[in-house]
Amino acid sequence: MEKKIRTVNILKETRKVSEHVNEERKKYIQIRKTLREALKEESKSIPQLAVDTNLPLPDVTYYLMTLLKFGEVAVDGIDDMDEYYFYKLIK
Amino acid sequence: MEATNNDSMNRSNAGTTDYDVLVIGAGIAGEESALKLADMGFKVLLIEKEPSIGGKMILLSKVFPTLDCAACITTPKVSETARHPNITILTLAEAESIVKEENNLFSVTFKKHPRYVVENDCTGCQECETVCPMVVKDQFQFNLVARKAIYIPFNIANPRVALIDIENCTLCGACEQKCPSNCIDFTQKEELVNIKVKSVIVATGFKLFDPISIERYGYGRYKNVITSMQMERELAPTRPFNSVLRPSDGKVPDKIAYIFCTGSRDHTVGNPICSQVCCMYSTKQAQLLMGALPMADISLYYINIRAFGKGFNEFYMQAKDMGANYVKGKIGSISEKENGNLILRYEDIVTGKVTEKEHDLVVLSVGLLANHEITKVFKNEKLELDALKYIKQPDLLQSPATTSIKGVFVAGTATSPMDIPDTIMSAGAAASETSGYLNQWS
Ligand SMILES: Cc1cc2nc3c(=O)[nH]c(=O)nc-3n(C[C@H](O)[C@H](O)[C@H](O)COP(=O)(O)OP(=O)(O)OC[C@H]3O[C@@H](n4cnc5c(N)ncnc54)[C@H](O)[C@@H]3O)c2cc1C
Ligand code: SF4
Ligand code: SF4
Repeated sequence: MEKKIRTVNILKETRKVSEHVNEERKKYIQIRKTLREALKEESKSIPQLAVDTNLPLPDVTYYLMTLLKFGEVAVDGIDDMDEYYFYKLIK
Repeated sequence: MEATNNDSMNRSNAGTTDYDVLVIGAGIAGEESALKLADMGFKVLLIEKEPSIGGKMILLSKVFPTLDCAACITTPKVSETARHPNITILTLAEAESIVKEENNLFSVTFKKHPRYVVENDCTGCQECETVCPMVVKDQFQFNLVARKAIYIPFNIANPRVALIDIENCTLCGACEQKCPSNCIDFTQKEELVNIKVKSVIVATGFKLFDPISIERYGYGRYKNVITSMQMERELAPTRPFNSVLRPSDGKVPDKIAYIFCTGSRDHTVGNPICSQVCCMYSTKQAQLLMGALPMADISLYYINIRAFGKGFNEFYMQAKDMGANYVKGKIGSISEKENGNLILRYEDIVTGKVTEKEHDLVVLSVGLLANHEITKVFKNEKLELDALKYIKQPDLLQSPATTSIKGVFVAGTATSPMDIPDTIMSAGAAASETSGYLNQWS
């Protein structure tokens, strides 16, 4: 395959990536891994995931809904009280 | 130069014009004015500072009072605008300076921000998004979920083309490696473009009131206090969550409260006027919520209901008949319980009693504010504002699109808060007054 020209290397010569951006990237990678790990065996609701992962509830909601948007998790029913959905990992 | 309709932009010769009209802002007002003028045969340049045209309307769920799907109405108009042979669209473009010359032409300089993606080559396949390791709050979902650093703004964006948020890019190059069309280009730079036009339409729309300044409502501190625009997204087909959910814990809410007039008719926040649309969009959302969550209680705390337009009162009565609970009450404060529920303390305006009620989600019906930054762009003639900082209409009764500068017209919510039907009428007036001006010119 023909090797692509990497224009990103040209920009790298003049532009630095901020510490904040690197921290945020690491945070997302970690949380994504934790959530995926927690959903490996069975589907779970957001409160169950928060307990299992020790992550704050709003963070679980935000990142899990992001993974739903990216097509990495899907809805897998709702509890008996019709309060919380269950989410499963898309393999 | 990237443009939906490829046209060479760097050719401003004195004495000739590149376009008959420059329309600034591609919300529904800018699109409608551009379309009307283009249909009359005028050459229009439509510039938009965001990466997609469509303004606020393209992000709404359904629209009052007809409950038509907003995307279904706006998408055909957006495509018609993008395809029209007499309209050139530039996104990520902002006017820097406009100078009226002695020959009555306007000399316009605008900034074109880089997309870092070759617009005409991107197929919108989103392959780049799958490998991008960086996420940030998705501004088009009003921060309810994240997006990647390289992203397509939203599904029905026009152009439906990726862009890179360079401030949040790690420069890892994964997108460039992955893109099957080879259209990522990190060497793109900001460009300054000069053109001449015969007339200008300002259609820069409105700003949303930021409720963070009303501390007693707890917005920004309490996760389950959201804005009406966030609820629009939750109700839209391209919503951030799988259903209507609370941001604190993903619970399906069943006691929802609306607080009308948040940031409107309120001297303490510097906006003494009615925003014209909040009563009705809240009523619309209440109807949609009663459809989506049939068991939910919806309470709407209001001061006065302003249902003044065609079909509005019937729409309001319909919401009441469906079970919406309208409470004439002034909210004093909101406090949060440990489970994320919210206690509303309010004065019942009918009985005068101070009462408390618990809800599990609170929606702030935020108002519309003037977006007046565009005035700074006019360098040698003053684009005047009215007392509330909207674009002044010196001849409101007979020529509502005229501004303080001859040859510059105004359309839509740049003049005052208004709903979509009134915006369309205002844009029609702007197009017709502009065409009259251009015909005199020739
Ligand atoms: C929550 C909510 C719900 C609503 N629901 C309804 C409803 O159901 N029915 C209804 O009739 N109305 C509704 N409305 C009102 C409706 O959104 C407005 O009437 C309509 O969007 C006004 O369109 P506009 O083009 O004037 O402004 P905008 O939609 O604000 O468009 C202005 C455009 O100009 C661009 N712009 C601004 N400055 C510049 C610049 N300097 N250079 C280039 N571009 C610029 C902006 O990015 C934007 O794209 C609702 C409003 C809100 C807030
Ligand atoms: S270079 Fe930037 S936009 Fe591209 S994949 Fe890496 S972080 Fe994402
Ligand atoms: S930039 Fe490339 S990979 Fe990304 S959407 Fe466009 S064509 Fe697809």
